[in-house]
Amino acid sequence: MKTLLKNTPLVIGLGLLALIVVIAVFAHVFYPVSPWQSSAIPLLEPFADDTLPLGSDMLGRDVAAGIAYGARVSLTVGVVSTIISITLGVAIGALAGFYGGMLDNLLMRFTELFQTVPQFAMAVVFVAIFSPSLTTIVLAISLVSWPPVARLVRGEVMSLKTREFVKAGIVLGESEGALIFRHILPNAVSPIVVMASLMVATAILTESALSFLGLGDRNMISWGYMIGASRTMLRDAWWLSVFPGLAIVVTVVAVNLIGEGFEKALNPQAHGERKA
Amino acid sequence: MLNKTSFTVTRRMALLGATALLTLPRTTLAQTGPVEGGRLVLIARPEPATLGLGLNLQAPTIYVGGKIFESLLTYTTDLEPMPSLAKSWSISEDGLTYRFELQQNATWHDGTPFTSADVVFTADDMMRSSHPRWKLLAETYVERIEADGDFAVTFTLREPFSAFIYAFELSSLPIMARHIYEGTDYRTNPANNAPIGTGPFKFVSWNRGQSIELERYEDYWDDSAAHLDRVTFLVIPDAASRETAFEQQMVDVLRPGDVEGFVARRLSETDDVVMTTMGEEFYAPHAFIQMNLRKPPFNNLKIRQAVMHAVDRNFISNNIWFGMAAPATGPVSSRTAFYEPDVTPYPFDIEKAQSLVAESGLSGDDLKVTLTPLPYGQQWDRTAEYIAQQLTQAGLDVSIKGVDVSGWAQALSTWEFDLALNYTYQYAHPALGVARHYLSSNIIQGTPAANNEGYSNPEADRLFAEAANSVDPEETQRLYTEVQKLLVDDVALGWIFEMRSPTIYRDTVNEVVTSAIGAMDTMKATWKAA
Amino acid sequence: MTYRIFLTRLGNGLLVLIGVAIMNFTLVHMAPGDPAMIFAGEAGGGDETYVEQLREEMGLDKPLVTQFAIYAGDLLRGDLGYSFRNQRDVASMIAERIPATLLLTMTAFGIALIIGVVFGMLGGWFRNTLLDRGLMIVTLVLYATPLFWLAMMFVLLFSVRLGWFPPFGMQSVLVPDAPLERMLDIGRHLVLPAFSLGLFYAATYARLMRASVINVSNADFVKTARAKGVPGGRILRVHVLRNAILPVFSLASVQIGQLIGGAVLTETVFAWPGIGRLMFDAILQRDYPVILGVFLTTALLVILVNIATDLLYRIVDPRIETSAGS
Repeated sequence: MKTLLKNTPLVIGLGLLALIVVIAVFAHVFYPVSPWQSSAIPLLEPFADDTLPLGSDMLGRDVAAGIAYGARVSLTVGVVSTIISITLGVAIGALAGFYGGMLDNLLMRFTELFQTVPQFAMAVVFVAIFSPSLTTIVLAISLVSWPPVARLVRGEVMSLKTREFVKAGIVLGESEGALIFRHILPNAVSPIVVMASLMVATAILTESALSFLGLGDRNMISWGYMIGASRTMLRDAWWLSVFPGLAIVVTVVAVNLIGEGFEKALNPQAHGERKA
Repeated sequence: MLNKTSFTVTRRMALLGATALLTLPRTTLAQTGPVEGGRLVLIARPEPATLGLGLNLQAPTIYVGGKIFESLLTYTTDLEPMPSLAKSWSISEDGLTYRFELQQNATWHDGTPFTSADVVFTADDMMRSSHPRWKLLAETYVERIEADGDFAVTFTLREPFSAFIYAFELSSLPIMARHIYEGTDYRTNPANNAPIGTGPFKFVSWNRGQSIELERYEDYWDDSAAHLDRVTFLVIPDAASRETAFEQQMVDVLRPGDVEGFVARRLSETDDVVMTTMGEEFYAPHAFIQMNLRKPPFNNLKIRQAVMHAVDRNFISNNIWFGMAAPATGPVSSRTAFYEPDVTPYPFDIEKAQSLVAESGLSGDDLKVTLTPLPYGQQWDRTAEYIAQQLTQAGLDVSIKGVDVSGWAQALSTWEFDLALNYTYQYAHPALGVARHYLSSNIIQGTPAANNEGYSNPEADRLFAEAANSVDPEETQRLYTEVQKLLVDDVALGWIFEMRSPTIYRDTVNEVVTSAIGAMDTMKATWKAA
Repeated sequence: MTYRIFLTRLGNGLLVLIGVAIMNFTLVHMAPGDPAMIFAGEAGGGDETYVEQLREEMGLDKPLVTQFAIYAGDLLRGDLGYSFRNQRDVASMIAERIPATLLLTMTAFGIALIIGVVFGMLGGWFRNTLLDRGLMIVTLVLYATPLFWLAMMFVLLFSVRLGWFPPFGMQSVLVPDAPLERMLDIGRHLVLPAFSLGLFYAATYARLMRASVINVSNADFVKTARAKGVPGGRILRVHVLRNAILPVFSLASVQIGQLIGGAVLTETVFAWPGIGRLMFDAILQRDYPVILGVFLTTALLVILVNIATDLLYRIVDPRIETSAGS
């Protein structure tokens, strides 16, 4: 515990993220009125009115409310799409790494397929084609982000397979499933966790970019949408795009700090801490 | 505003011809007379897919192609016909024969003389097969199209159709070169990407993704026109960049829609900038909420009335369109012929809307609807969000569907929508731009600009049909007034606003808007102070 | 030996390309939107017969399998298809956009690499100093900043407020005739898009480089050099840098696809006339042949770059075993 507290990135990251989670979860408590509802005079500047600290947009909608509700979309997309792509990547990577041979070859070609196509472009096409909604966005992001996981897991599995404790398992006649799930994967967890936290960050950025391009869920306010919607007013109403942008930066920084903290905790050598 | 007497024109037209006078905004510099030379920089938004005017009727194609090609007529901002490739015209007393005398010294940009054969080829052959609006018009009304010598063409109609005089505008019937297109596959003709027209400017080059370059056509038939040396269209897909480009003087003219209302208002407050909302009278874009009348809840009149009361049309015009729009009162735009202002009003009243929804007796899933927004940029997005929010307050359960242009067109064209936003052009006359949304014979799939809501009322059908055939302007007005009152009482569509998109230009540029199609026109009179 | 690996890689690449063609063809044709209907709708009307006629002209009336067979046949002949919407050859549409995208992505890549390597090197060499902390914070923030937002802020600051760089496009309206001025003109237009695309990757490379430098400096051969009294600067240049930069190169080559993906955003924000924007426009217009063509082209580009870096890697670092190909 003490060492965890000394892990500055992890502490700061978790602190920031906790704050954002609270805002997201209790958005409807802080802002009982829908963020789509006009509630003030349009284009109110920030810090001018205590009830609307971040100002209002062209329809008189509260920017702060939008940011609070937008946190929900960012976090949901980040977490759900990461869970899906980790599951997909682990499954494919473990199969390829464990069995090797033809299956490995086939699965790796399949993985390569998704890596050769520009990921963001692929996500854009997917969402545009199946019409933008929270589901299609999550699926699109998962679809383009699993390949690195598969490669990582494959590598881990291949190296773990040759270790003594796995060989012992084979000798003891354990089933392949048990070998993979009980012996191999638990030992590959730390790099997967580190990668997962980075993927949450990337997913949040990708969602914001899709929404910015007008490919977000039209019924849920999101930060990327807020920036895209006020882009033409950037000069006259800077607060409409600056605050949501900062919200994205802070959230992604928080997630990345957590990832870094994990990495530090799980793999201290890489940080040169050993000598200190 | 519409000059109500303008419709008597159809009968007096026989004498009018080339004498039409312009009464349009001119800047003070105009007294010095046109300066020859210079380059005018405009914006192609979005980049046109092709410059084959008549084959592609998207705005950017017309905007660029409109400088290269010409039509027989153009129209004043009071919707009076003016000469273009036709130097004069006459309509027979029975309203069946339209005769056009053509310019005799016009040539195509490759030097080939322009003759009546080009007009007959365009109207009877090329546009008949590839221009959906002309095709429909020609099949319905036109009996034959004949050349009379090299420089006269006659259109003979099957039945009187007074709106026919408005069918000769640039986007409706651009005149194409017979020697280029005849016997070819029109859509794949290489001239679509390197067009040859009769207009004041000829095509020079097209740097895809960047710019289109035109230059003055030295042998242009009108010696007193075509002042600019060069016309450049920049491809600037991003609204914020278009604004910056205009401010940094890289661009001279912004056509309607190039920048959003908010920006337009700010730019117009700058000293050396001129803004006008004239030059859209012919198209008079009219925005409305399309409600699917085939099923609940919108088959219920009370719900449709609730929609009209729930939406504050002034708020939309002022706060979303920043004054570049005016509340609509009914199916006909106030800038179109035969507009009737005296119809049932639906003032903004959210409580009334709520009680109408309650009175309808509908509840639960019947009130659950999706709104298909028009994916044409930020202002449309805001409009959709606002309407969804207002209708939610009125008691409907509205969710917005995320669509791109294709999804939107698909939803409307196949009738798979509850609520949808749309806007269409009025084309100067109710018979051309209005009736198509309400005639039961036009309940067709495959286009978002028909009677997609499924409105069917024999009385409205009869009134529209009689009005179209009428040659007496007063009778026509009476019929159109009646049908407008009827449609508004039925709430056939939820009319929201008339778009008043501005043309914005530097005060060094003159004669930008000289007709009812504004910047879309040839710009043959446009000049730039040195 | 290398020659055979090269051939295997090329064969694999070809397989992947075929996969990309099949996958994207299926994906794109699963789309609910009907291109003929959109076209008709934008033309301001038309009825079912008109739409039917368009569908036929676009070749959409045939069964999907037949459409694919036709497409595959065209591909084998090196023909990427025909865009009905633009009435042009897809290959030539893409060809005229590729230089702009290459210019943008390669410049961004260069910026990312230089900044990344320099930052990472400084951070790694002077680790846990104030400088290192500062650089870490900068890269942390850059790594978390949305590309499009950074681009907007750049335009606001450097173009609108300061007027240093043009806010959009690749060339001025009046393109200068002299070659040198013309290059300078393009260069000025390039600055903002290239930096907003490059900085995100710079942050990635900086972090990797830092870790890599730390890693290498703990290696025995560096310790030996240090013990032998070789000056620090020389150790850094000769021993550390050369070895530490390898993982950065390999990550960079994997990320080429991502970089092109990022170009979609950058090119849209900056009106840069490259294939990213071409594709975004094509998506909105449901111009299937163009979407497919861009995917194939970029996939090909990525495969070639990967093979090239692979070969380069082998030349730079002969320690790599031939079996470590994938």
